[in-house]
Amino acid sequence: MYELFKNLGAWLVGGEQWAGPDGIAHRLAEHLQYSLLATLIATAIGLPLGLLIGHTGKGAFLAINLASFGRALPTVGLVVLVFLAGGLSMLPVYVALVALAVPAIVTNTYAGMTAVDPDVKDAARGQGMRGHQVLLQVELPLALPLIMTGLRLALIQVVATATIAAYVSFGGLGRYVFDGLAQRDLVQVLGGAVLVAVVAVALDLALSALQRFLFRHRTA
Amino acid sequence: MNRRTLLGGLFAAASVPALAACSGGITSLEGQGSAGSGGGSSKDGITIGTANFTENQVLGYLYAAVLQEAGVKVTVRPNLGTREILIPALKGGDIDLLPEYQGALLHYVAPKATATEEGEMQNALTIALPSGLQVLPYGMAEDSDAFVVTRETARKYGLTSLADLRKQNGKLVIGAAPEVKKREVGVVGLKEVYGVEFKEFKSLDSSGPLVKGALKKGDVDVANLFTTDTDIQANDWVVLTDPKNLIPGQHVVPLIADRKADSTVRKALAELGNTLTTAQLTELNRQVDKDKKDPQDVADAYAKEHGLVK
Repeated sequence: MYELFKNLGAWLVGGEQWAGPDGIAHRLAEHLQYSLLATLIATAIGLPLGLLIGHTGKGAFLAINLASFGRALPTVGLVVLVFLAGGLSMLPVYVALVALAVPAIVTNTYAGMTAVDPDVKDAARGQGMRGHQVLLQVELPLALPLIMTGLRLALIQVVATATIAAYVSFGGLGRYVFDGLAQRDLVQVLGGAVLVAVVAVALDLALSALQRFLFRHRTA
Repeated sequence: MNRRTLLGGLFAAASVPALAACSGGITSLEGQGSAGSGGGSSKDGITIGTANFTENQVLGYLYAAVLQEAGVKVTVRPNLGTREILIPALKGGDIDLLPEYQGALLHYVAPKATATEEGEMQNALTIALPSGLQVLPYGMAEDSDAFVVTRETARKYGLTSLADLRKQNGKLVIGAAPEVKKREVGVVGLKEVYGVEFKEFKSLDSSGPLVKGALKKGDVDVANLFTTDTDIQANDWVVLTDPKNLIPGQHVVPLIADRKADSTVRKALAELGNTLTTAQLTELNRQVDKDKKDPQDVADAYAKEHGLVK
């Protein structure tokens, strides 16, 4: 066990592991690219959807159930399905990652919207605000903390799952996990897993710091 | 996929002590009948063990069918697990016979062996096997690694053997399981033995839906599959020949305890070995995996059809 961790340490800090197309630096960049792009696409889909159903109160049952269904989808199965239908490209990976991230964003956005005090909305309308003004100037700011929680949740899930790209021959930190398993190289597997965990935690801390910065003037 | 599963079990060493501990019978590595047993006897019957994948079970039932026909009382214990369990069980006397594969078995008993040609491997096995165990003559059927291209690719680049790949160095993309990138029977050996260099290596799965899907769609040009994969025939894919014997032969070979290896058994199994071809074995696998037939029924029907059983 001690030997394993010693080798792991050597692997993580070794200069040759960081350079080149198979190097950690490159794999890390790939992993971030996959994760951030997938989360961005998921936000573009999930955020308006959550805001819309939260604002109008319509379609909530359908959307929330669809989101739960999306959560239950096995990611590997989805990747293989899209792969067999569409061939070898990053598309299967992005489809699976987006499908994973959208539910967390939709449900949290919706939850944030429904948590807004109806009296506040009434007051806003009473002051002559139009629907979109209520949404953007009253509901959205009040729902923002929960929306941010949804985004953080989605991002962590996506970072942890983006290892799946390696399953269909692409890069990212999953390369170490899949190759290490196939080549019975435990140090490589563990190294990849540790890096994924570090990236997930680091991104979550970064978003949490951003959140605190954005809401620094707000009292709880 | 099948044979590799068995081979893959080699590395699952950690699980072996636990498994052995809960079944006292197979913990003893010193076989009962191993000492000075020149001529065995199958009079008291033979117990056949098989590994945990379709093809090995079909083979076990084929062995059972021909041995029964020869008048031997047979018990089959299917699905016992991997080589780590089967071979100690064989030495300990819980089972007497099991269908094996030349190359994979040799790698298990002598990891540093270099033989790849069938005859050499048979000799190497005879030398390397622990006392008390022996291999009988190997059969025609073989489940080995294969490098496969589509009919179209073969025509376009004039490919029939692995040596032909060299002419297309830097142009072709190979798809295979991740471990193949660093394996002798893979990118490393193809470069050393045939001087082949690929444009790109795509890590996919081991003779599974990904690598086959990618080959079908033209996302990879060359795919690493197994010779008994039913999809090779179904898609009219071309298996590239291996004139320099890079890929170790994986002929099916009966591994038997000395105590049971009498002439009745030898003859019955040799007859089966000389009848069953790779294509036929592939078809039997297909009947079990795709048509969901019972492995024993499939084996019995085959034995009857080919006159091995009346």
